[in-house]
Amino acid sequence: MLQIEDLKVAYGTEEILHGISLTVRQGETLAIIGESGAGKTTLGLGLLRLAGDTATGSVQWQGQELLSLSDEELRDIRGRTAAMVHQNGGEVLHPLYTALDQVAEVVTVHFPVAQETAREKAAETLSRVGLAADRHGLHPHRLSGGEQQRVLLAMALVNEPALLIMDEPTSSLDPLSKAQILQVLGTALKGRANLLITHDLATAATVADRVAVMYSGRIVESGPCAEVFATPRHPYTRALLRAFPDMTTFKDIQCIPGHPERQVCGCAFHPRCSQRTEGCEASVPPLTLLQEGRLVACHRGGIVPMLEVVGLQKKLEGRTIIEDISLTLQEGETMALVGESGSGKTTLAKTLMGLWPADGGTFRIDGKDDWQRKHFYERIQLVFQNPKEAFSHRLSVGEIVREPLDIHNRGTKAEREEKVRRTLIDVDLPVTEDFLRRYPHQLSGGEAQRVAIARALILDPKLLIADEITASLDAGVQARVVRLLMRLQDVRGLALLFITHDIALARKISDCAIVLKDGRIVEAGLSSKVFSNPVHPYTRQLVEAAPQLHRG
Amino acid sequence: MRVARLLMDYAIAFFILCSLGFVLPRLLPGDPFLAIYGEEAALSMTPEMKVEIYRRFALDQSWTEQFGAYVGSLLRGDLGWSYFFNTPVMRVMTGFLPWTLLLAGASLLISTVSGFVLGLESGSRKGSRWDKGVFAGLMLLGGVPDFFVGTLLLLGFAVIWPLFPLGGATTVYGGLTGWAWAIDVLRHLALPLASLVLARMTTMYLLCRNSTVALLRSPFLRTARSKGCDEVAIRYRHLGRSVLLPAATSAGLHLSHLFAGILMIEVVFGYPGMGTLLQRALAARDYPLLQGILLLASVAVLGVNFIVELLYPILDPRVKTVCTSNTGKN
Amino acid sequence: MHIQYGKKLKSGPGHWGLLLLGFWAAIALAGFFVTPYAPDAYTGKAFLAPSSAHWLGTNDVGQDIFSQLMAGARTSLGVAVGASIASAFLGALLGAGGALVGGWVERLTMRMMDIGLVIPPILAAMLAAAYLQPSPVTLVGILAFFFWPGTGRILRAQTLLLRESGPVTAARTFGAGRGYLLRRHILPDLAPVLSAAMIHDARRAVFLEAGLAFLGISDPTVQSWGRMIQQALAFTYLDVWQWWLLPPGIAVTTLVLAFALIGTGLEETHASD
Repeated sequence: MLQIEDLKVAYGTEEILHGISLTVRQGETLAIIGESGAGKTTLGLGLLRLAGDTATGSVQWQGQELLSLSDEELRDIRGRTAAMVHQNGGEVLHPLYTALDQVAEVVTVHFPVAQETAREKAAETLSRVGLAADRHGLHPHRLSGGEQQRVLLAMALVNEPALLIMDEPTSSLDPLSKAQILQVLGTALKGRANLLITHDLATAATVADRVAVMYSGRIVESGPCAEVFATPRHPYTRALLRAFPDMTTFKDIQCIPGHPERQVCGCAFHPRCSQRTEGCEASVPPLTLLQEGRLVACHRGGIVPMLEVVGLQKKLEGRTIIEDISLTLQEGETMALVGESGSGKTTLAKTLMGLWPADGGTFRIDGKDDWQRKHFYERIQLVFQNPKEAFSHRLSVGEIVREPLDIHNRGTKAEREEKVRRTLIDVDLPVTEDFLRRYPHQLSGGEAQRVAIARALILDPKLLIADEITASLDAGVQARVVRLLMRLQDVRGLALLFITHDIALARKISDCAIVLKDGRIVEAGLSSKVFSNPVHPYTRQLVEAAPQLHRG
Repeated sequence: MRVARLLMDYAIAFFILCSLGFVLPRLLPGDPFLAIYGEEAALSMTPEMKVEIYRRFALDQSWTEQFGAYVGSLLRGDLGWSYFFNTPVMRVMTGFLPWTLLLAGASLLISTVSGFVLGLESGSRKGSRWDKGVFAGLMLLGGVPDFFVGTLLLLGFAVIWPLFPLGGATTVYGGLTGWAWAIDVLRHLALPLASLVLARMTTMYLLCRNSTVALLRSPFLRTARSKGCDEVAIRYRHLGRSVLLPAATSAGLHLSHLFAGILMIEVVFGYPGMGTLLQRALAARDYPLLQGILLLASVAVLGVNFIVELLYPILDPRVKTVCTSNTGKN
Repeated sequence: MHIQYGKKLKSGPGHWGLLLLGFWAAIALAGFFVTPYAPDAYTGKAFLAPSSAHWLGTNDVGQDIFSQLMAGARTSLGVAVGASIASAFLGALLGAGGALVGGWVERLTMRMMDIGLVIPPILAAMLAAAYLQPSPVTLVGILAFFFWPGTGRILRAQTLLLRESGPVTAARTFGAGRGYLLRRHILPDLAPVLSAAMIHDARRAVFLEAGLAFLGISDPTVQSWGRMIQQALAFTYLDVWQWWLLPPGIAVTTLVLAFALIGTGLEETHASD
């Protein structure tokens, strides 16, 4: 078992790893994921003291403290009981020796065997990792990238080490070679303690049992691979997953705002985090246990739920419209609420907005259920299906958008006007005097909808309920409005409850989805699951009825 | 393809070198006979000898025929007649050649090996006091021309502090045999050899140090380290193997410097090799001999370089696959 | 990255090299106008020890050694500067020019360089000198003839590299013409490579000029450090070597060293970018 405690590695005065604690059990594969520059490679190399000038903390391996071993003792371990698979590229293999010789060298360095014996063993290992026998005697420049990676793998495996550290073993490969290497890894990793360093989430998902997410030299989240990838708890983990092009996700890839910065006070991720509070830059959050096997380092305990609904019920004129609605919408996520007309979607929206009192159940916004009215509407806003109906025909665009500020009595007049302008720019509307003085009937459908969105956003809410807001728009304007919301989500961490009957649209923009039928939830989960493998017959019906341009 | 092209280049180069001995004397104004043989030789020759020489070089005929005769005699190994020794140039040279070969072989071996080892050790300790010291010392030494290194050693260890003989290759009339003779030869060899090694080592040292420093951050060294190789294995088996490549090429390419150095060092120590012979030829204005010596040296260098080029693919397996694109190599 | 070569030569080995070179350049320049005695004049007694009249004494025939040293500096530096400029000119014309023109011109010049590189320059120069007994001007010609392929190859390689480099490709996509590319992008970036090659050639030229004179393969009427050493070497049994043999030897050494140091300084500039 490999046990790392508070490992700190520095190059000169620049500390790269700020206290890493991890354990890898025998027979288990732990993946370290994160962007380049997070310190993943330094971690992998640092375990065998191959990186950095100084390393403090503790690395326990087979009862030995690796950090306090002599160089001689450490050499005995390297390549024999603990081996590294390096990232292929740029002469990682010696250009002047054959593949076979380079693998055989690992044997002769550690065991007093004849050259021939070592070569036989090397050849056997090379064949085991899938390098054809007639290519064993070639020099690296004659081998393809995939073959070179196999040689590097054979080099690590030839002495049957108990600990295998892999640094980006698949990153430089084409998809087919990658798949082959992953297949080889599948059997090669059995029985060993394995540390897989990669920025390729798919490789981690294929090979690893557990995953640890690194950011700026610290672990920010760890847990079982499948759980972390399905329900990330740290905003950074979610951002990583959203940036990764994945065949099963239909939502577009999203960039992580900002840049990784060194020398950040407190939580290293807070400059890029949409749910940061004042406390985030005060101190570094410790890695704390959330639930069995899941750890997260976040001052807010991970991604916060913006909307938690438990057992909500609403009756109108004695008839139960919605019943037993329970859902959780996280900060920065989109939840699609789909269902045919009359399934209770709008009732749910109006109840959540406090326009109608609930008849049963509770719901919490941003962790609280006893908001003062004004503060409540600073957190949650609603955009209606038909914006023109929600505008007073007597008010101009400028006045419409400014109205919430007037109600909340925020700032001076000049500040309000300025805020109106900025919000209109945010939603891609002109800010000319002429436009500000227009009346609702002078606006096109798309313009009106964006004015409505601007009005909803002007108080900087964290949760937006969009009730069929694009239903009356043509596809071009709809795309524009939806893009706009996605961008705001990236930048502000806006949580969206997107009510629609358009499955195709829902699939494009949502992280999770809820299917409502006759006032009840019939199916809920990740969008990729709900829309690709619908379980409930009603969902299946909806998916089949979804618009398609290419039949067959 | 590569070899054919190389052979072509070397053949043309050889041809140019040989033609120098034909073209240059004829470029000078006056009788080419005088340019080739010098005035003193011309004066002391019998008319029959002159006629013989005119016939041999076809001096009274057209340029093309003269050239044909010239090349023909070169191809026969006939470098002309040494007027001073009254013997064919070729035979004069073979008498002096062994000592030069001894000096050349020993100095090439020692300077290459020591330059390689020092360069490797120094480069892999880049920035250390040891590296800086060796670097500065050898830089200084490399600035000293070969013949002046020889002069200093001669002054130091033969004149001021007479540890070694002043010159020659053996004690004349010593009548030494067996081991005593061998030791005598080595004692005479010591200073010229030391001068050559000191003067020539810097080139190899600097080259190896530079290559080592350039390779110091190579990923394959980290791979070797993670295999569990110790530092010596990493330095020699991994780094050294890669440094050997430019080192071997350079040893071949700098052979001409070594030969030039030998000619001069021999003069300093009166070592009875080609250099001393060259000086005597100069003193006696024995032009055919003079030209024969330099031509032989150039051709020897050409030959060795060709062999190095041929061996290069063995040292660097990557060359084989890029034989079609010969641009910018060398 | 923007590299300031002048700045780099203000410290480290390059700085010392410049100082040494400046010292000898000053002596050589002074030697053009005034020497204490005519270098080849017989000034009186032979084998005089250094004195205020003869700073480095006199040689075996009574010539003033210090005057000869100054005249030798003139020859040495003259040949070095001449050979490096001539070789640079030929190398630039045939190496860089060939690479820029392309087509059969490029193939021809490349072939010429391939063959030229095979010929060992030092021995070939000695061979040519043996026939010609060259004056300094002829020697410059001989050296340039055998040195240029080395310079040409380096310039050619650099030119090829530059021709395909990012900035040049980018400029071409903006519609830049040949003249502009040459002036703005290629020539400025050839300069450091060319200067390094010139320093290298100058160093070899100093060495060869002295070496040829030492062996006696040069115009005997021209003053040279190599010839001084050759003549002094015959008298090692006398004390005169201290002021006759050592000064020209040290002179050649320091001048060669000056060029070597400048070369190292420039190289470090390359290495650190």
